[in-house]
Amino acid sequence: MTRRTPRRSIAVSASALAVAIGLMTAACGTAATSASGSAPGATITLSFLSYNYGTPDLGGQGTQELINAFEAANPTIKIKPQGVPVADALTEAQTETAAGDPPDVAQIGWSKMAAAYRALPVTAVQDIPTAAQWGAATVGMSQPLLRAVEANGKVVAMPYTISTPTLFYNATLFEKAGLNPADPPATVAEAQRDGLAIAKTGGSGVYFDIADAAKSDFLTQSIIDANGGSEISPSGQPNVDQPAAVAALAAMRELTTSGAQPAVSEADAIAAFDAGKLGMLVTSTAVLAGIESAAQGKFDLRTAAMPGFAGKPAHTTFSGAGLVVLAKDKAHQQAAWQFIKFLTSAEGFTIITSKIGYLPLRPAIVTDPRYLGAYFRKDPRIGPALKQLDEVTPYAFFSGAQAAQAVATLQDDAVQPIVFAGASPASTLTGVTRQIQSMLSQ
Amino acid sequence: MSVVTPVTDGTAPRPGLVRPRPRPRRLFTRRSFTKHGAGGGWPFLVPFLASLLIWVYGPAAATVVLSFLRWNLTSGPPAFAGLTNYRALFADPNFLPAAWQTLLYAAGIIPLGVALPLWLAIALWKRPGRAAFTYRCLLFTPVMLAPVATAISWQFALNPLQGVLHALCDAVGLPTPDVLGDPGTALWGLDLITAGKVIGLNVLLFGAALAAVDPRTVEAARLDGATEGQVTRHVLVPQLRRTAVLLTMLAAVYAGQWSFTNISVLTQGGPVNRTDNVYYLIYVYGFDYFDIGRAAAASVLVVAALGVLLVAGGLLRRRRDARA
Repeated sequence: MTRRTPRRSIAVSASALAVAIGLMTAACGTAATSASGSAPGATITLSFLSYNYGTPDLGGQGTQELINAFEAANPTIKIKPQGVPVADALTEAQTETAAGDPPDVAQIGWSKMAAAYRALPVTAVQDIPTAAQWGAATVGMSQPLLRAVEANGKVVAMPYTISTPTLFYNATLFEKAGLNPADPPATVAEAQRDGLAIAKTGGSGVYFDIADAAKSDFLTQSIIDANGGSEISPSGQPNVDQPAAVAALAAMRELTTSGAQPAVSEADAIAAFDAGKLGMLVTSTAVLAGIESAAQGKFDLRTAAMPGFAGKPAHTTFSGAGLVVLAKDKAHQQAAWQFIKFLTSAEGFTIITSKIGYLPLRPAIVTDPRYLGAYFRKDPRIGPALKQLDEVTPYAFFSGAQAAQAVATLQDDAVQPIVFAGASPASTLTGVTRQIQSMLSQ
Repeated sequence: MSVVTPVTDGTAPRPGLVRPRPRPRRLFTRRSFTKHGAGGGWPFLVPFLASLLIWVYGPAAATVVLSFLRWNLTSGPPAFAGLTNYRALFADPNFLPAAWQTLLYAAGIIPLGVALPLWLAIALWKRPGRAAFTYRCLLFTPVMLAPVATAISWQFALNPLQGVLHALCDAVGLPTPDVLGDPGTALWGLDLITAGKVIGLNVLLFGAALAAVDPRTVEAARLDGATEGQVTRHVLVPQLRRTAVLLTMLAAVYAGQWSFTNISVLTQGGPVNRTDNVYYLIYVYGFDYFDIGRAAAASVLVVAALGVLLVAGGLLRRRRDARA
């Protein structure tokens, strides 16, 4: 019996390893190739990254229903959905892009859309269909919103699950505190007054969800806009050291220091509202379906427009998400367009609004008995948020590669400390403005 | 020179019988690489060494390279940035506080994750039986629960408006503290939650070490009139020293990583950045801001800091051994 020499063994082992690595590489390459190509008429599989998909709540159920309805209407297109936590949607899309296999369609939150445009190989959704097809598909959609989401004169990401800030209030707690539920607060000062009245009865007063866990600044923008200011200048620079912004955040701080607003996290406040222990919650309409479900049989849930500032028009911006197309080849881009067209059709928004709770971006369907007519007659609580859509202001982005960090810095180092930890609005906002300016100049 | 080698049957060596000292066995000899030695098995190590190279040392070297680049993974090729990423880290008002807070996490978790399990393990070892077994199982249960699910449970329990803590405080007429929302208590609250998952595991590891303790040493101490406290301090704890040192080192090195999930789910680094640590910040740099160069630079600094600590610890141990 002969034994192999070590040198030969090493050579054999190294060859085996090289072959194994080669096979793995080839397998990956084959998978990538087969995913991107498709013969005409063949079934196309479209990957869809969504933060609503797969959740055990109504958002997950509604998204599944949308996918089922689309696949039933389009048998040659199969959707391969992929769930992701809301805060990680851009992260997931970017890492998959870096790995060479981006999702064909991704749901990205508006607060991260500027970063998505910069970092992802986005094909503008308006560029996929012909002008006539685009016009036919978007007629009946909220034109102010479509204009508000344009980037460089065209719609790059299709508005999908859109919401505006809304006042949810517990009419039962209002009555208990001797307040009139038919007359909810229209200004921040009135919200403070009513919040204090509720706090006296043992509940918690009002909570503005301005420092949310996802570190989105949509409510910060809305509050500053409502006071006649702007968080971000047209050139993408911070504007928060201006008097209107300082006064707006000072009013938010006053809510906390007066005792009308509990200094707690977003999750704690929503849980308390669901339990009927918080009088008012100002947040995205996205939570409507969940709150309605929690309130059923427990308290009388009502909604109103976001409280603004006395004598000033209540402009708000929007939050939620848009759909971006990352598909590489024309066939998948066309399939992505078909999917997006369905999701934003009258049928799509009927499911989105009635099952998930986002705004129907086709205002006419709320009175149409074929779509949301019956739902809206039974539950008109989305009405105030829908009305705000007519006056919606564009969501503003910081400029430059550090835009995402600038938003997080504003939220972490200014909004949270001012509103919930009693920091001085003027000096804090001046310091953070300098910090963000330096960041954006890098 | 040759020496007398003791015989194995316990009898004294016969006068005049001197055996040559056996040559110390060398780990690797020329022969071992050729035809008869263990070196014939060296190629079997290739998969292990290759995976170590691919998954550990390769990425470590790549991280060092990335720390000198400006790149966001997707848009365009990376560009050389020199020391910019390192300078940006020290200019970032969050980085050094996060580094300090990483040490605080370790300082908080050592008493909770080592001293408390040591005490619990000894207490259970001294009282063997069904009750001790049940307690061990109960203490170990949190180790098996999914970290995110545990964190969310704590979120409900500590909700200052309606959680379990609120109900308890309300029952005794005390105001409810916002443990995770108060900048003064948030980090220690997270440390406590993190330790909750470590305690059960470390009780088990100390229990395993106690199984090797000779019960006769304890009985002898008791016969000599030692109190239970003295038995614990002078008999048991010294025999558990090696395990305690190992677990302390693990706690110090891994405290920052163990707390990552709780930070991510419960506080996201807040309030006022008071629960950030470097591991969470590296994730934020890398996967929230996609500033890959800065994330890599922070990782290099963390490894360097750990390296300095380990070398310092090694030098101290060598000096102590030399004195002994």
